[in-house]
Amino acid sequence: MPPVIEVEHLTKEYSLGTVTSIKDTVRHILARLSGRKTWHRESFKALDDVSFSIDKGEVVGIIGHNGAGKSTLLKHLANITTPTSGEISVRGSVAPLIEVGAGVNPELTGRENIYLNGAILGIPKKVTHQKIDEIINFAELEQFIDTPVKRYSSGMKVKLGFSIATSMEADILIVDEVLAVGDLAFQRKCFSRIEKMLHQSNKTVLIVSHNVRQITRLCTRTILLDHGKIIADGASQEVCNTYYEQMNNRVLAGVNKEVQSSHAHIRSSGSLILESIEILTANGLTDEIKSGGFLKIKINFTLDRTLKKPEIIIGTHTTDFVYLTSSTTSTMRDKPDLAKGGHEIEFSIPSFPLVPGIYCVRFIVRDELGVSVYMGETLKTFTVTPSSNELSEEDSKLRLINTDALWAVNGAPYQ
Amino acid sequence: MSISTPNLFAYRELIAALAWKNIVVRYKQAYLGLLWAVIKPLMLMLIFTLVKSFVGIETGDIPYPILTFAALMPWIFFQESASEGVNSITANTALIKKIYFPREVFPLTAMVTKLVELAIGFLILAGLMVYYQMLPTVQALWVPLIIFYTMLVALTISLFGSALNVYYRDVAQALPVLLSLAMYASPVIYPLSLVKTKLIDEQAAGEWSNTLYTIYNINPLAGIIDSFQKCLLQGLQPDFNSILPGLIATLALLPLSYLYFKKAEKWFADII
Repeated sequence: MPPVIEVEHLTKEYSLGTVTSIKDTVRHILARLSGRKTWHRESFKALDDVSFSIDKGEVVGIIGHNGAGKSTLLKHLANITTPTSGEISVRGSVAPLIEVGAGVNPELTGRENIYLNGAILGIPKKVTHQKIDEIINFAELEQFIDTPVKRYSSGMKVKLGFSIATSMEADILIVDEVLAVGDLAFQRKCFSRIEKMLHQSNKTVLIVSHNVRQITRLCTRTILLDHGKIIADGASQEVCNTYYEQMNNRVLAGVNKEVQSSHAHIRSSGSLILESIEILTANGLTDEIKSGGFLKIKINFTLDRTLKKPEIIIGTHTTDFVYLTSSTTSTMRDKPDLAKGGHEIEFSIPSFPLVPGIYCVRFIVRDELGVSVYMGETLKTFTVTPSSNELSEEDSKLRLINTDALWAVNGAPYQ
Repeated sequence: MSISTPNLFAYRELIAALAWKNIVVRYKQAYLGLLWAVIKPLMLMLIFTLVKSFVGIETGDIPYPILTFAALMPWIFFQESASEGVNSITANTALIKKIYFPREVFPLTAMVTKLVELAIGFLILAGLMVYYQMLPTVQALWVPLIIFYTMLVALTISLFGSALNVYYRDVAQALPVLLSLAMYASPVIYPLSLVKTKLIDEQAAGEWSNTLYTIYNINPLAGIIDSFQKCLLQGLQPDFNSILPGLIATLALLPLSYLYFKKAEKWFADII
């Protein structure tokens, strides 16, 4: 069976600047006709020689930093725009869930909007009619469905848009950042709805998201875009790790520049200057530790004044800022004063329980009164590698923490 | 570059839904609702009737108010279909950038919307005919064909105009001016018979008279308005001599207009 989506050497250029006026266009045409040299506006390659193919039933995630070309790519697949060069072939009907609610009209009521958007998305009126109760129900808008949408809260609008968009049936589903809608409860509902759609039907799905966690969970395959080019294309976990590494490299590059990287979040009173952060194992300096292994963080900094009984916090978080560990000196009695000048702090966790992945260090110093002197996140990144008795990749993806456990089956210890 | 003509029939539900939306949104909070659609031709009819009593326009045996109302119906239908059609692409930027369907749906929708308003105009016309005790004859069967022809004319302008308007918003600015001028070049205030009498019978422009009359009729609205009045009010069949020049022009330009639209369509989402 041929692939559902085939993209070959797709390139899309946009001209920078404004659209030329009639005057310029006429001058341009005249110049061309008279054989004189014409001038060009600077162009920007949003997509640069992109090729891939997707088979029926694949669930593919597309990740990349802002401006990497993700949405431009989806626009081409949805036939909204035309490539500058290259070929795209799409077999089957495409349902674009690109920014839900594009067709929602504020003057119409919720119910009227459901019919209108159904028509816009190509759902026959009969089908919309059959599904309308389900759509209203999912959007949790029973009470407001005959009120004009202009009187809805923004959350209600988004819920309505999502419910309509996901109720349609098509061979290929394109999802662009629509999972982050509504309140937390609704987000969970959306997520499980998408998951259900993926598992029940043999649909081909493309998902763009900045939430890499969602991508690894939903997609079997992921494409990583960077500056319009495909950097990696393969199993989600691997590609997402590449993405993390890519981000980390930027972070690291920033750390080396005296910690003042754009990725590190630093708020400092100026009294504390961070000199270095090092990760150590028993064997010395490293960037890698084993899951469940020994982790030592050594921080060097200089103070331009004396801090009396400061509180020091050192913690770790994921690259997308899920705080994992946090250790503080606040509960200790007899906290030492830190004099003006250089200091070195060593911090160890005997057994770092996190699953393989990439983590960051955060470091906070507060003075006696609890006023923050220094606060920095993503100051240093390190990789946790699988330990020898590590579970398969597949299993480790479903958890964050690696703990020892004791089992008993029918009262008998189970080993 | 290949141009694929999609099966527009498949999009009839979408066109119907969008046209319905246009109408509902326009009149939703208006107490008079759809009646506003006929207020414009009625007001113009009253003004023209007033003006006519000063300047004197020869209209034969048809009462002037109904004659001019029957001219205003196809004229306003054409004028508004064309101008709304030209604006229809830029007015739907959000949809153009998010979802694909053939873009000619928008100018078509603008026209279907106006078709509904035209239908209401027919109710008023029927009322006027009862008032003036006029009965339609079998010639009234030409009317659907005349309206279809008017739609082709409006599409010729709105397809080309709406595509060009994506690049140069000057189009939407210039069109109302041009259209209001075009009204005076069409037999709206005066009947076509007046032009014919002057140019053909009296040869008012000397040896150029016949040519001028043909040129006048290249404006498709001349033939449309005249035939509309003839078929409905006078029980005569259309005057094909006045229709032909405009019909040829329309049939020549419509394919070009559509071709340009389909070529430009590919870049709408980037430029708009």
